[in-house]
Amino acid sequence: MAAEGLSARDWGTADRPTRTRRRHTALYSAVAMALVLGAFVGVLATRKSALDKQARSPLLGEQAPDIIGDSITNGAPFSLMSLRGRYVLVNFFASWCEPCQEEQPQLVAFDHEPSGRTAVVGVLFSDTPGPAKAFLAANGGDWPVLADPEGQLALNYGVRGPPESYLVNPNGVVLAKFIGGVSDAGLDRLVAEAQQGGGQ
Amino acid sequence: MNALVGRDAVLLGFLAALGGVVTLGFGLRRHQDHLLRQARTYAWLILGAAVLAVAMMERALLTYDFSLTYVADNGGRQVPVIFTISTLWGALAGSILLWTLILAGYTAAVVLKFRRRAVDPLVAWATLVMYSVCAFFFALMLFSGANPFTKVPGTPPANGPGPNPLLQDHPLMIIHPPMLYLGYVGFTVPFAFAVAALVTGRLGEGWLIETRRWTLLAWGFLTVGIVLGAWWSYEVLGWGGFWAWDPVENAAFLPWLCGTAFIHSVMVQERRGMLRVWNLSLVLATFCLTILGTFLTRSGVIDSVHAFTESDVGPWILTFFVIVLAVSIGLIGWRGDRLRSPGAIDSPFSREGAFLANNLLFAAFAFVVLLGTVFPLLIEAINGQQITIGGPYFNTMTEPIVLCLLFLMAIAPALPWRKASGELMRKRLLFPAWTAGLTVVACVAFGLRGGVDTLACFGLGAFAAAAAVRQLVLATRRSLADGAGPWRGIVGRANGGMIVHIGVVIIAVAFAASQAYGHRTEIPMRAGQSAKVSGHTITFLGIHTEQHSNRTSLVADVRIDGGKVYTPQISDYPADPGGGIGTPSVRSTPVDDVYLTIASPPQTPADPTVIGVTVQPLIIWLWIGGGFMAFGTLLAMLPGRRRRPVLPASAPAHEEAPVRPRRLPAGASAAVETP
Amino acid sequence: MRKWLPWAALLVMVVVALVIGTDSGGHTSQAQRVADIASEVRCPACEGQSAELSDAPAAAAVRLFITQQVRAGQTKGDIEQQLEDRYGSDILLRPPATGVAGLVWVLPVVALVVAVAALALAFRRWRGAIAGQVSDADRARVADALGREE
Repeated sequence: MAAEGLSARDWGTADRPTRTRRRHTALYSAVAMALVLGAFVGVLATRKSALDKQARSPLLGEQAPDIIGDSITNGAPFSLMSLRGRYVLVNFFASWCEPCQEEQPQLVAFDHEPSGRTAVVGVLFSDTPGPAKAFLAANGGDWPVLADPEGQLALNYGVRGPPESYLVNPNGVVLAKFIGGVSDAGLDRLVAEAQQGGGQ
Repeated sequence: MNALVGRDAVLLGFLAALGGVVTLGFGLRRHQDHLLRQARTYAWLILGAAVLAVAMMERALLTYDFSLTYVADNGGRQVPVIFTISTLWGALAGSILLWTLILAGYTAAVVLKFRRRAVDPLVAWATLVMYSVCAFFFALMLFSGANPFTKVPGTPPANGPGPNPLLQDHPLMIIHPPMLYLGYVGFTVPFAFAVAALVTGRLGEGWLIETRRWTLLAWGFLTVGIVLGAWWSYEVLGWGGFWAWDPVENAAFLPWLCGTAFIHSVMVQERRGMLRVWNLSLVLATFCLTILGTFLTRSGVIDSVHAFTESDVGPWILTFFVIVLAVSIGLIGWRGDRLRSPGAIDSPFSREGAFLANNLLFAAFAFVVLLGTVFPLLIEAINGQQITIGGPYFNTMTEPIVLCLLFLMAIAPALPWRKASGELMRKRLLFPAWTAGLTVVACVAFGLRGGVDTLACFGLGAFAAAAAVRQLVLATRRSLADGAGPWRGIVGRANGGMIVHIGVVIIAVAFAASQAYGHRTEIPMRAGQSAKVSGHTITFLGIHTEQHSNRTSLVADVRIDGGKVYTPQISDYPADPGGGIGTPSVRSTPVDDVYLTIASPPQTPADPTVIGVTVQPLIIWLWIGGGFMAFGTLLAMLPGRRRRPVLPASAPAHEEAPVRPRRLPAGASAAVETP
Repeated sequence: MRKWLPWAALLVMVVVALVIGTDSGGHTSQAQRVADIASEVRCPACEGQSAELSDAPAAAAVRLFITQQVRAGQTKGDIEQQLEDRYGSDILLRPPATGVAGLVWVLPVVALVVAVAALALAFRRWRGAIAGQVSDADRARVADALGREE
């Protein structure tokens, strides 16, 4: 079956005694392509899906950008510096964001820890004070919340979409970034690790 | 009931495809012709199964049968009927069902067209490959997470959320995917014949002529699908652009590039009997890229606004991709060297040389697009770095390629075969070159200022268009002189091709103009206010709310240039919370498009509404150019002027002479291959 | 030589037109600069759209930031670096030109050069094949038959 249709003519060597060797371009190219594409397929096969990306941030290990403004809850002026000495969770959220609703109880738990070493600060992402206050009333949360009408606070932290949170240590250095909801237990573990490591 | 019959239909299709593969396998192995003839019936079983499955799914959608998971996730009573029908291809599982239906259709068409030559091993192998691909797609629906006929556990809901809001607010969504799939799937046919040609060793012109029209048809559909996709993106997504070098767009563009290279390179094979292995590689690559594109868009491996939600369909498609790749590379490596034709190209300054340059440029183009699309994946695997490769990279890298291609489009039709002489070229290129020069001068004289690349694009575009027009005029004159009427001057491959080239030039010029001279601003406006943007007067009349069956819309009324009122909107679909979906409103004229969106709705009734205004010239010509390309493809598929068969003069005298009859009589392909 | 004269004139005409046409008239407006930079920055909340074209609030925030920085006299490189420092390296739509990632700029050029070289080699081989088929005696006969003509 494989030899059907092939004849000496197709080989083209009958008339040319000088050409004794056939070129193997196709074979070499095929082998080269196989190697390159094999590596490529290997990468595709082992790549984790896009949704699995861990939270990286250029801010990790750097000083947290300052947050200054008036809280929408009581109008009082607020500055992140005022929370130095505590582990602060900077939480970017929105009233229309479902995972934010789900994580709110975890944030409340983190904020209300008896040790008093923890605090939460909320920053609105692409939202207005009206719906935000309703959100807080419905889901809890009595910490300072700042509106960010021009999005510059979110830009300074490199926030892409709510919910995103940053854990800041008592010296104002960013320890971790969370994309998606946080859990109180996870935060506590990180705080404990940081305390042991830094002896704070 | 729908689910049961649907699933059985898919199972039937799978078994029929397997049966076809087995029957053909045995028939080929044992040289039993009756088995080969018998295998034709399987194509009808496959088609019947696919039609039945699609009918069941449409029935389930239209009768709001929410016991099916697919309908429960994607259907909805509030959705207009026409979009309920198009929900079939609105999500992953349904899109695979559509693909399978089109594939079954092509398979049946191939079996029907070649029914009298079913005992020819070339045809038998091609049919076997088509059955195998059918088997894979049916298997995908049966065994992976993409089964469209799974049932909802427990009680079915009373209503569904409807498809993604972006998929139910514009009629273009109804034809764009089917056109695209007709293109993608259509490339399975030349692939099947290429594999068959390599396996049987019959690389002569027979398989090529057989599949030329199929390839052109698939290519035409893919072109239309891509242009419609760009149009949909422009009209629906609200960002004012039409091509974002999105991975899914690139996934459709890559097979198109390879297909275009093949359509051109094949002419060298027909004329000189050369580049056979290269052309086969192009056909195989086109199909491989189709499957790769399917994998990239359905596996969630790359972020994209189009990507279907991920499911475990990814590993399946990747496995199929590996198989297709292995078969392609294996066949080329095994057979390619033995089947290469002897022959030489005399001079790079000839039509053959132009086609070789064409091959080079398209290969480079495809390489750049492929590299840019997958490079973030590769880099992350190598050193964990996360980068984005977006518009700026692709535009920078592909611009010089496109300019070279425009130049080639201008000189290639004028270049003679074998060898060009300066005098001949001077004569033939006189009119196109002066047209190009005067165009550039006219643009600059009219006050157009821009980058060298933009002006070069206009000039080279005029060059290419004038060359194409010259060819058409000559062909029409010749046709009139032959007494055949003027129509022969525009049908047939060469002339249809010139019209396609004109379409490409129109698109290139429109693309360059809109990129270089587009302006975008956002203006906060209150009711009654006017603003001037790029020579147009925008008057904001007011804002109001509208209620529809499937959405609530905030509508802004804006009058453009004292004429008609346009209504950009932001809509809330109750099924899709989390922010409104913006819908633009566009005024298109042959000169420019005024594109309106609501950039920011008023927070309180006293606030102004921020209206986004984008003015871009020549946008409508993108779609008109696409129309030219489609029309030209159609003309190219019609038979043209009768040609004398041409002997490839470079081959030794005893080499088979490729005869090019318009229609091969039954059994003739065997005669051509082994005289 | 005379035959090429009108072509030379055409070329000169086009070059002059191009030179005039690309004279952008000096400075670009600030809005243009902002749009320029924003078009190479990814909208943070979208999946590949540029910050210039996206309607998303995050994109508006980026545009505002760029406007402020441009007013303060920052260069494009500085502004892009600042955005990278906040969002990470994948906020830019243009891949870096250095390091392993910079290969994405180099590879296509290398591939093109290799391909052109391969094509040139192929042409040389073809020319040799053709020349090899024809012997000098044949050439002499042909030249003889054609008389003095080349």
